[in-house]
Amino acid sequence: MSGRDLPDLERRDDDGPVLRKGVGIPTSGWFDPRGRALGSFAFAVNRVTGLGLVAYLYLHLAVLSMLLRGESAWSGFLRLATDWVFLSLDVLLIFGILYHGLNGIRVALVGSGIVPDRQKALWWALGVIGTIALAFSAFHIYGSR
Amino acid sequence: MSPADPVLGSSSASRTFRVYRYKRGDPGWRFDPFEVPVGPRTTVLDALRWIQLHRDGTLALRHSCFHASCGTCGMQVNGREVLACVTLADPLGSTITVEPLANIPVLTDLVVDMSRVFERFPDEIGIVRMSEELPEASPPVGIDAFERFEDCIECGLCLSACPVSATSDAYVGPAALAAAQRLLEEPRGVDPGRILDWADDPMGAWRCHAAFECTEACPSNVRPAERIMALRGALSTGRRPAAAVTPR
Amino acid sequence: MTRSAPRASRDVPHVLIVGGGGTGGALAHDLTLRGIRITLVERGEFTSGTTGRHHGLLHSGARYAVNDRESAIECIEENAILRAICPGSFEENDGLFVALTDEDMEYYDDFVEACKACGIPIEELGPQEALRMEPLLNPDLKAAVRVPDATMDAMRMPLRFFATAKHGGATLHNFMEVLDLVVYAGAVTGVTVRDHVTGSEGDIHADLVVNATGPWSEKIAHMAGADVPISPSPGVMLALHGRLCNMVVNRMHRSGDGDIVVPQRALSVVGTSSWTVEDPDELDVPQDHVARMRVEGAKLIPAVAQAGFRAAWSAARPLIGAKDADSGRELSRTFKTIDHAGDGVEGFVTITGGKATTLRGMAELCGDVICRKLGVDAPCSTRNVTTLPHTAFYAETERRLA
Repeated sequence: MSGRDLPDLERRDDDGPVLRKGVGIPTSGWFDPRGRALGSFAFAVNRVTGLGLVAYLYLHLAVLSMLLRGESAWSGFLRLATDWVFLSLDVLLIFGILYHGLNGIRVALVGSGIVPDRQKALWWALGVIGTIALAFSAFHIYGSR
Repeated sequence: MSPADPVLGSSSASRTFRVYRYKRGDPGWRFDPFEVPVGPRTTVLDALRWIQLHRDGTLALRHSCFHASCGTCGMQVNGREVLACVTLADPLGSTITVEPLANIPVLTDLVVDMSRVFERFPDEIGIVRMSEELPEASPPVGIDAFERFEDCIECGLCLSACPVSATSDAYVGPAALAAAQRLLEEPRGVDPGRILDWADDPMGAWRCHAAFECTEACPSNVRPAERIMALRGALSTGRRPAAAVTPR
Repeated sequence: MTRSAPRASRDVPHVLIVGGGGTGGALAHDLTLRGIRITLVERGEFTSGTTGRHHGLLHSGARYAVNDRESAIECIEENAILRAICPGSFEENDGLFVALTDEDMEYYDDFVEACKACGIPIEELGPQEALRMEPLLNPDLKAAVRVPDATMDAMRMPLRFFATAKHGGATLHNFMEVLDLVVYAGAVTGVTVRDHVTGSEGDIHADLVVNATGPWSEKIAHMAGADVPISPSPGVMLALHGRLCNMVVNRMHRSGDGDIVVPQRALSVVGTSSWTVEDPDELDVPQDHVARMRVEGAKLIPAVAQAGFRAAWSAARPLIGAKDADSGRELSRTFKTIDHAGDGVEGFVTITGGKATTLRGMAELCGDVICRKLGVDAPCSTRNVTTLPHTAFYAETERRLA
């Protein structure tokens, strides 16, 4: 027997800790793969490609600004632009555009309630289309050397 | 069930359970390791109750029905949202990590504050719906139609799995939106306009970003993601749709 | 308040209820309505003992009509009351008692006559009528009787009582475990608890302590040096994927294993068996019992044989009676309030026995005994008070009914 009244009852009403997926930074939970399925993967890659495309837009404008610096600057850039590393980055860019665009179509079709329950089938179907388009693009990009 | 099954004889090998521990007033949380005997039919709930009975009587956890119908034993096991009473321990590996659900404040150990789950639901939810099973059956005289409990068991697994809920506590979450969509599919005297108004909110149906983790986590075939999409369809077109979610 | 004062000098008596199952919740609701201050302590989550684990049958009493008339009459009365005070908490599809063999048919007349004698409304059906209602029934059934069974949500229905008590002013603590009873001068004056939320230990004092712990009743009673003749009597249940029936399907015979199939949302629960144990905390799930559920259940509904497995578990009934009963099936399913003043222990009452369907009736009986002991003149009013929805338990303010 303790012989004293039960203490600390008011502590029951305090706020407790909240578990979040990820590593402590709020949005890191989006990229935590443990226990995740296809839909999360699509969600995460959509965000990465979205950021990538925004970054690309900035780069693209920066590159175009070289036109203002005259022919020799532009020719220097063109030499870089036909380097195979650069061409590979172009293929990566095409992947980003295709993924973000086609997944966007998937999200639009599902999210507006037109086809609410076929999200996995849509991912695979559009994925096939995207892969073919990417292969076609890569063939032509590398073939342009 | 005790892992030491008297029909089979002595218990099988033991596993290490890493269990999240927190008591109010503690400076922080910790993981306690326990060696627990595990047989082929031992569930995670069996193992946790064995720990309570034989190792640490202060371990707090929720359970009630033992057959995934009450929704109280939701937790994260090795990072996945599950109902512990129907999750077998054997296939989970030599170390099994058990934590409370994410995105909901922890009360103690594996218990989360369920009031935060229930406060998200619209006021009008009911738990009884028409039974769509055995459509060829005719109910007895005096009963208009057979009824059954709704699939949603208010377990909170969807809320824990949702990546948007991980970054926003104001989002009502998948279970509440799925319940709203059910009320559109089968109004039971509720005004559909009220439900649509409730859902038509930046923190309502529009906060979802189509990760579909809620449907993956749901142990009760509610399909909240698909229902949220159907709800958004209703909001976009200004009409209440017929049940647009096909059964699995 | 000091430990030494055995009785509170307050106007409103304080009753502490040990045990957060259906009985404890219903009693908290009953006494709160009578103006008594209630604290309830439960070592785990509410309904985590026997209450949450049963198959969810809202009894018509028909199963007990022949052998245990007292229980049958209690059941049918409470059946009607619960439907009224807990609206929207049941799958109200009625039930069937199905005769499959000639031996079952020998029981038929006794069964029908006993149901009528107990006031259980029944309808006698031929095989074709029964199959129209339940297409998956064994097509070789000989006869069926419709009874007012229903399915309850084993957790959510009792939770309504907790919700109403809480909003009525009762203090309900889950995850608070009684370690000992505080006994002073032959009277129970409170409990010593460990709060599993904070980790702290201490006493809570009360004018009267009620033991509502079901199969754990004897364990708690021993803390006061009192005795309760309880035989924990577990049974196995099997939950299967698929809603194989809409009505509750019972076998028409004297009680036996696997003689009921209870539908519940998109599941079917087959039950049950019976044996006795000493310790309700260590319950096995004998695999031969589980196999028997499949076999016996399949006699009623052949699809049970192939249905997907969801879970198999045990729950301990709190049966009152002799400890040496072999199977537990011989013991009565009625309930009892024991005032331990008869054992020389004041301030301590046990309410035990019973079944999920009779929770309100048990609380009424116990509430009457407690009020007499405390000198409180307040009749029971739970028959006429609609309980709040279970969601109200988690809300700060009352929620509207759906």
